[in-house]
Amino acid sequence: MLNEQKIRGILFYLSVSIFFIGLPFILSYALGYKFNPRTLKFTQTGLISIKTQPQGAHIYLDSKLLDEKTPSTLSELLPGTYSIRLESEDYYPWEMQVDVYPRRITRIEKVILFPKRLNIKQLNKGSVSYFYIDQERKNIYYFNRQDSILYESDLEGERFKELSVLPKSFKGMPKGLRLSEDKEKILLFNSHQICVLYLSPKGSLLYGQNSLMLDYPGKQIIQVFWHSDSYHLILVTDKNISVLETNILSNELSLVNLNGFPSELFYDIDRDSLYFSDYQMGNDGAVYENVYKLEFSEKASIISSVVKLRQNERE
Amino acid sequence: MKENSLRKRVFEIIPGFLSWGIILTLVILAFINPVSCAVIILVFDFYWIIRTLYLTTLLVMAHHRLYRERSKDWLKACPKNNFYHLIIFPVYKEGLDILRPSLEAINKCHYPKDKIIVVVAFEERNPDARNNARVLESEFRDSFHIYLSTFHPAGIAGEKPTKGANATWAAKEAKIVLNRSGIRDEDIILSCFDADTCVNEEYFGCLTYHFTKSPKPHQSSYQPMPVYNNNIWQAPSFARLVEISSSFCQMIEGMRLEKFVTFSSHSMSFKTLVDIGYWPVDMISDDSVIYWKAFLFYKGDYRVIPLYLTVSMDIAYSNSFIKTIKMQYKQKRRWAWGVENFPFLMNGFLNDRDIPLIKKVRRGFHLLETHVTWAVWAVILLFIGPLPVIFGGTFFNQMAIGYNLSKITGLLLNFTLFTSLVWIVLSRLILPPRPKEVSRFKNVIMTMEWFLVPFIILILGSTPALDAQTHLALGKYMEFNPTPKSKKMV
Repeated sequence: MLNEQKIRGILFYLSVSIFFIGLPFILSYALGYKFNPRTLKFTQTGLISIKTQPQGAHIYLDSKLLDEKTPSTLSELLPGTYSIRLESEDYYPWEMQVDVYPRRITRIEKVILFPKRLNIKQLNKGSVSYFYIDQERKNIYYFNRQDSILYESDLEGERFKELSVLPKSFKGMPKGLRLSEDKEKILLFNSHQICVLYLSPKGSLLYGQNSLMLDYPGKQIIQVFWHSDSYHLILVTDKNISVLETNILSNELSLVNLNGFPSELFYDIDRDSLYFSDYQMGNDGAVYENVYKLEFSEKASIISSVVKLRQNERE
Repeated sequence: MKENSLRKRVFEIIPGFLSWGIILTLVILAFINPVSCAVIILVFDFYWIIRTLYLTTLLVMAHHRLYRERSKDWLKACPKNNFYHLIIFPVYKEGLDILRPSLEAINKCHYPKDKIIVVVAFEERNPDARNNARVLESEFRDSFHIYLSTFHPAGIAGEKPTKGANATWAAKEAKIVLNRSGIRDEDIILSCFDADTCVNEEYFGCLTYHFTKSPKPHQSSYQPMPVYNNNIWQAPSFARLVEISSSFCQMIEGMRLEKFVTFSSHSMSFKTLVDIGYWPVDMISDDSVIYWKAFLFYKGDYRVIPLYLTVSMDIAYSNSFIKTIKMQYKQKRRWAWGVENFPFLMNGFLNDRDIPLIKKVRRGFHLLETHVTWAVWAVILLFIGPLPVIFGGTFFNQMAIGYNLSKITGLLLNFTLFTSLVWIVLSRLILPPRPKEVSRFKNVIMTMEWFLVPFIILILGSTPALDAQTHLALGKYMEFNPTPKSKKMV
């Protein structure tokens, strides 16, 4: 029993000693001080935290190669400017002059080392004049002007295949390509034509046809959007905004006459709303550019609200 | 009288005030001065690691002692064994399934049965008390020198419904019977056991040995090592871990003789119990307050001698996880209510002129420090530790300490992994043999369950103590709420 109590006493005082001896070192290290055994003084230091992508880069501090690799924190650095160089085989090196402040940490944590050998590959299998990426479906659509063929592949260029052939009557290069919400139709348009391609037979309203061509010789098409029902199209030309059905027999319904060329267009398919800008002459005779929201949902009126975003007085 | 009650209130408020003061100061510092807060957290973390390593070493030493002494023939080593052993089991709602194994364990002890007096102390207010008493009397009447059933009436003036009140009633009844039989108080060694306490066969031999070898046997209490082995293989992981940790804490305390205080089932001189006026009848923590009563009575010349033999008790658990947590929480809060000893002791110290001041300061400080540390350690480690980094803002996170705080804390706390490994090994060594009906796979579960420790710390680390101290500080005194125990799950 006595022996145990003696041992316990020794352990107790040993623990107390470790606490009081170790504590100043732990606190000084944490606060950014370094103990100099020669002068028996604590000096202020700073840190540099380095993280790279990819990890494992060699670190050169003032041209001296360090043992540690990234990610790493260089501690107990005296305040001043240091040259940091990060090197990794097969990657471009990264270099910077870094200031170290007393009791502070300088963070270099967003370094990307770019590979010397570029990871690049060709995705299309034939010549391509135009391409469109559908992020949701993770597909790429390619258009070849020479043979008017539409191709598709995944984002890696795999499963490259012919999708459809555009009618010969479609002239020139498409200005845009849009996939319908139901993913069964694609529209391509140029300045005066809209071509709708049916990707599956059930998408077609006209039996035996896999495309629909709409011509607008008197107008210049600026943009075409799919309505969320994947049947109506919102057509914006230099003259007006109209809505039409993807049916050869239907007529175009003009909704808004435009006073000028819209500088910005955005179609919110979740709410079936078109945001556009147009000019308007005020009662004071000045011309204002306004931003409008045009709703196409079932409940909405044609133009539900007008938001004045900015007023540019024109002389 | 008024001055006394005001003084008592002040001492009741101090532990809760200190605990909340430490927590709130650190939280406020985390917002207004995160660097200072981080420094305090680092000091505390380092202190905690050193303390954990130190206490784990003591645990290993205590375990070694327990292992060494478990097979000793204590009775043979006793210079004389003419002492009578009076064993009191204060009972409230515990049924025959709990009491019978406890009495059978005493019956199996090697100590001569003609020197053993058993008192089962029932509460009159329990409707099953008379019937249970009759059944047990029929089974154990002839097993011991005297077997006595007592019935503590409810509603005695000045009493609260506590275990201490019941035990005091039983001890007074026993004294009348024993003195009438010609047995003197100084020849009786008293053991006050929880109803589910199953003693080791050598317990009374070991107790008698230490009693006779002690230079001041009447100025000592004798504390066995409580383990919760009765139903350890059946109890759920959560409850099992909590109780194993409690046993380990008690083993560690047993190594710190100058701070050791009685806990749960323990033994002492019956003469001393009579001299100091029995257990307090209005306090919940009767097991520890009886020590302080004797300490004050003997002017600080009173100690607890650890007995390196185990007494086995039940783990409180239920068939529902939530109910088990609630039961464990209430039990730990009742243990933490031992903070009521602080005002009791301080009042005693102020009324005393003989105990040396240094002794008063040391014991008072230790009692206060134990309870305050209990109430704040898990809060500081788990909740306040990350606050400076979260709320310190850009400035703090650009500071060296902003970066180093979590790094050093993580490194320091990794040291506790080592101590956890020691605890896992020791927990395996104190386990009773696996019952045949329990799968071998349970061995794996019982090792893996130690990963639940952070979760347990979260719930039962500090909150029961903080809860108890807050109630005491607000003057909302706790009622005695015995932990429901049954061999069938509650």
